[in-house]
Amino acid sequence: MSYDVMVIGGGIAGMEASLTLADAGYQVLLVEKSPSIGGKMIELSKVFPTLDCAGCITTPKMAATANHPNITIMTYCEVQEIYKEGEGKFRVKILKKPRYVKVDDCIGCQRCEIACPIFVPKEYEYGLIGRKVAYIPFEMASPRKALIDLDNCVMCGRCERACPTDAIDFLQQPEVVEEEVKAVIIATGFKPFDACLKKEYGYGRYKNVIHALEMERLLAPSRPYNWVLRPSDGKVPDRIAYVLCVGSRDKSLDFPICSRVCCMYSTKQAILFTSALPLADVTIYYMDIRAFGKGFEEFYNMAEDMGIRFVKGKVAKITEKEDGNLVVRVENIDDGTIEEEEYDMVVLSIGLTPNSEVVKAFKNVEIELDPFGFIKPVSENTNPVLTNVKGVFVAGCAAGPKDIPDSVAEANAAAIQCIDYLYEVGAKVVVR
Amino acid sequence: MVNDKIGVYVCHCGGNISDVVDVYKVVKAVQNFPNVAVAKEFMFMCSDQGQQMIEDDIKELGLNGVVVASCSPHLHETTFRKVLARAGLNPFLFEHINIREHAAWAHKHDPEGATEKAIRLVRSGIAKVSKARALESIRIDMPPQILIIGAGIAGIRSALDLAKLGIEVHLVEQLPFVGGRIAQGYGAYPSGKIGTELIDELVEELKKEKSNIHLYTNAEVVSIEGFIGNFEVEIQINPRYVVKECDKFDEAIEKCPIEVLDEFNYGMTKRKAIYYPYPNAYPELPAIDMNACNKCGECVNVCGDAIDLDQKPERKKIKASIITFATGFDPYEPKEGEYGYKQFDNVVTLPQFERLLALSNGKLEYKGKEIKDVAFIYCVGSREREGEHKYCSRYCCTATINAALAANQKFGVRTFHVYRDIRTYGKYETYYEEASKNGAVFLKFSPDEPPEITQSGDKLIVKVKDQLTFGEEIEIPVDMVVLSVGMVPRKTEVVSMLRVPYSMDGFLQEVHPKLRPVETAIGGVLIAGACQAPKDTVEATASASATAAKASTYLLRGYTELDPFIVEVDAEKCTGCGDCVEECMFGSIELKDVNGEKKAFVIEATCRGCGACAGICPEEAINLRGYTYDQLRAQIDAMLEEVEE
Amino acid sequence: MTGDDFRPKILIFAAEMAYRAADAAGLTKAEYPSNTYYIRIPCSSLLRPDLILYAFKKGFDGVLVASSGDDCPFMGEACIEKTSKRAEKAYELLEQNGIERERFKVAGICSTCVEALRRQIQDLNETLQSLGPIKTT
Repeated sequence: MSYDVMVIGGGIAGMEASLTLADAGYQVLLVEKSPSIGGKMIELSKVFPTLDCAGCITTPKMAATANHPNITIMTYCEVQEIYKEGEGKFRVKILKKPRYVKVDDCIGCQRCEIACPIFVPKEYEYGLIGRKVAYIPFEMASPRKALIDLDNCVMCGRCERACPTDAIDFLQQPEVVEEEVKAVIIATGFKPFDACLKKEYGYGRYKNVIHALEMERLLAPSRPYNWVLRPSDGKVPDRIAYVLCVGSRDKSLDFPICSRVCCMYSTKQAILFTSALPLADVTIYYMDIRAFGKGFEEFYNMAEDMGIRFVKGKVAKITEKEDGNLVVRVENIDDGTIEEEEYDMVVLSIGLTPNSEVVKAFKNVEIELDPFGFIKPVSENTNPVLTNVKGVFVAGCAAGPKDIPDSVAEANAAAIQCIDYLYEVGAKVVVR
Repeated sequence: MVNDKIGVYVCHCGGNISDVVDVYKVVKAVQNFPNVAVAKEFMFMCSDQGQQMIEDDIKELGLNGVVVASCSPHLHETTFRKVLARAGLNPFLFEHINIREHAAWAHKHDPEGATEKAIRLVRSGIAKVSKARALESIRIDMPPQILIIGAGIAGIRSALDLAKLGIEVHLVEQLPFVGGRIAQGYGAYPSGKIGTELIDELVEELKKEKSNIHLYTNAEVVSIEGFIGNFEVEIQINPRYVVKECDKFDEAIEKCPIEVLDEFNYGMTKRKAIYYPYPNAYPELPAIDMNACNKCGECVNVCGDAIDLDQKPERKKIKASIITFATGFDPYEPKEGEYGYKQFDNVVTLPQFERLLALSNGKLEYKGKEIKDVAFIYCVGSREREGEHKYCSRYCCTATINAALAANQKFGVRTFHVYRDIRTYGKYETYYEEASKNGAVFLKFSPDEPPEITQSGDKLIVKVKDQLTFGEEIEIPVDMVVLSVGMVPRKTEVVSMLRVPYSMDGFLQEVHPKLRPVETAIGGVLIAGACQAPKDTVEATASASATAAKASTYLLRGYTELDPFIVEVDAEKCTGCGDCVEECMFGSIELKDVNGEKKAFVIEATCRGCGACAGICPEEAINLRGYTYDQLRAQIDAMLEEVEE
Repeated sequence: MTGDDFRPKILIFAAEMAYRAADAAGLTKAEYPSNTYYIRIPCSSLLRPDLILYAFKKGFDGVLVASSGDDCPFMGEACIEKTSKRAEKAYELLEQNGIERERFKVAGICSTCVEALRRQIQDLNETLQSLGPIKTT
């Protein structure tokens, strides 16, 4: 099997770029670090401003990607080395991490999961609930295949005995495969800001301070407790505060830029409470409400009309009371007062930070980064998906924070620039 | 016609199904069902052995239909269709019945009920396949040709991306020169390049692709007929009156006695009737504005037969498989008196201010007076509580701050920003930060108490209740007030020709706001740039490239294949009432005269296969292939057959 | 025969997204009554009102049209309007034929709306148990 393009990252941008290239007739190798494709989008509850459920619109994309005859997906794999050996020629080394389950034999029946006696926090649910050590990452995972987290495994062998297809294989070893591709698209997305770094907000110390991705899970149709509960005592929260720009627009963290999506996802979550928790009061503390995309301002207006309280002000500090309630101290810029309000739960609207480690894999060329650590688009006004290395393109949040439609548009833009490049190096589509 | 040799295959799924559903009982309950030739169970039907078993049975037993009862069709429907194809049977003589998710897993504690359900579902599948017809995918030829309407930054980007692949591009621009609104802009963010520089860069590439890009300037689309793969378009190329090269155009322009307001500079300067909007404009030939020209002949005296004042409009027919709209936007034109616009001399719009920056040297001057202090009022024609522009125009905050920074750095201008929210999203936040650092003053107003502009001597006074100082009323004397105007959608006739839908905000409506932002509900019609929603250049070029990407998936292969599940009309039953034509959202049914009678016809290329037309037909003259009413009734009948204990 | 012994036969026309919801119900092992029989259709606008009547006349005790609602992959929101148009006609037909309107339900079900699907099924099942079997001629 030889591939035309390697797409790094199986989130929405990576899937979209792969699908377009594959539809055009190219062979695509899609490499995803985690055990399932779907990226951050599949973790979300609903999307703004349409309030489509994220799972509903992501799973068909995942299925289309998985079933496309021109796409080969390598999940749980990491790109280790990339050598540009000339135009249209990249040699890549990919690490296949052992799943300890033979993927071809696994039928996704979850018997190993039922048999396994060990519980650990479930990554997909941000640790809000547990998973087994032998597990399928989440219900809608693609591939819907099990893996074993050997770090936490006690080697009891129950999964092995439970498996009806003898798919468990504890002897699997990491394996490095080498491939040659003609072009590369970087679609590695973003890392959510580590809320622990904003010490004054108490994330990690105060149980009822959670971050917005955790709230996404609490609000998702496939949510962990089938209800929004606060972590400390399982109480249904009545008063919820959002703190915007956590990890964004913050010079103290050396991250001055805005993350583009937090204003809207916070507004969206607040709107979702009107059906999830109709009695809850929601306050959003903001610096500026950046409702800039199509239909966003209208969405913001709707939220205001629904009674969600927007307060302009930077939250200085959060303190925890004995009963687990939280006191938020903020300067209200609208009237100049210092406000101290008590809430049952505080949600930190964390920003989108770079996930650019992949540049280290480029061994004989250097991919330029912008001052904030994202992959740098070098010709943004006229061709926003080019990197400084010819034949290497960037799409989605790898190049900077952005929302889903902008990521999808960029993924397609990266695909066409990639096709133009393939034509330039003589790799034209062969019409069957 | 009945398929009377159907093979039925029931999967254990390694216990997933068989632990709950008694698969042996299912096999027994269907093996003597009408039209069943063979019924079997197997541990893993999707495994190689399972597939091989079905393939062998088709060949050896001469099966003419297959039912597999296993997991969800979303997992393995295509797998089994391929098995049929390998065995030489039409892949649509197949039904996938879900007895895992829909029976075994949903009724774990009710094995008897689950088994009964499985039996009824499998029987329904058998009945459906017995009445199934062989279907073929619908192939639509896609000759590699495209029409792109609008030669601004989005149209040119999209044209270049496709032309490089050898695709024939017809690029139609209504103005005499390319470049659109970007050419009029001053500093583009984030590159800092002047708008015309960006256009120059693209034009250089455009010149290299001349063999594949047919550029028609001064041209408009007159009519469009047809559909995806086969649009027939007529365009009118209006006369430029300048017909060939001449090295004395500059002299001709100088000699021209007519002066009119220059729309390129938003009426702040004048130009001649024969003109270039700016030096280096493309195409290189100047154009003559016949609305202004008095045909005095001065230019002809200089340039001779390079100028033809009697040139006539020309019509041309072109074919296109796909049409991309890159028709852009208009800047909002403030009402007279809105923040003193057209009431006081020195109230201008942001696009005018950008032209002023581009045209100024040394110091910033307007109407003979030096401009030292400028106030910018944000959200003019955007975020209106009442009125039609409720949306945010996205680009203006950054564009305003960017222009203010340039004015400050180049001309030492002091800037005051009267805003509602500063939306310098993403990395553009650094512009806001830089402006604040450089002494720009920011004042926040509430939409309930908008700023007021008055005149005092040769100064304009901006009165604003500043929320940042808790409602203190502040008066700022300035030399100029700049209104950050939003983007307004354009209503063009060509949009209605294709029935492309508009969104609530008046921009063109994409088919799915999250995942399909550059496609429309009309097959083969794409939208690039600001015609879909306000965008800056980065976003406009990304969306333009995205349209090229979508188009390339069709045009590189030269054809596309659509699912065979579309509707068909039984002409004998059709009475030509036209209800179906009204019901179809996609314009995929039309009435045609057949021997004096009206009959409905399906445009196969655009039918999506929802079956809405079939659902409304009073005569049941329309059926959806793969889901015919005969099949659905047979399924109902079969499901209700007695299940023995 | 009414009460707990009676297992009504419920026909569910499942449009694209609702079919996926039924998949998701299975995946998450969300249980609901097993006397529910699916027919897969692309879009609920396909359903002719006379087909609903046909199902009752042949012996189904209840019919649920599980539409994709505004998630309809064909026409989005317009699906709701078209489907309700069909449903209104169907209710008229049922009335003319002496079939209780409570036996027939229409609901928009998105592809992960497992709870909504279950609720619809349970409600209809309870209604049918109190109404008893359909009287077929």
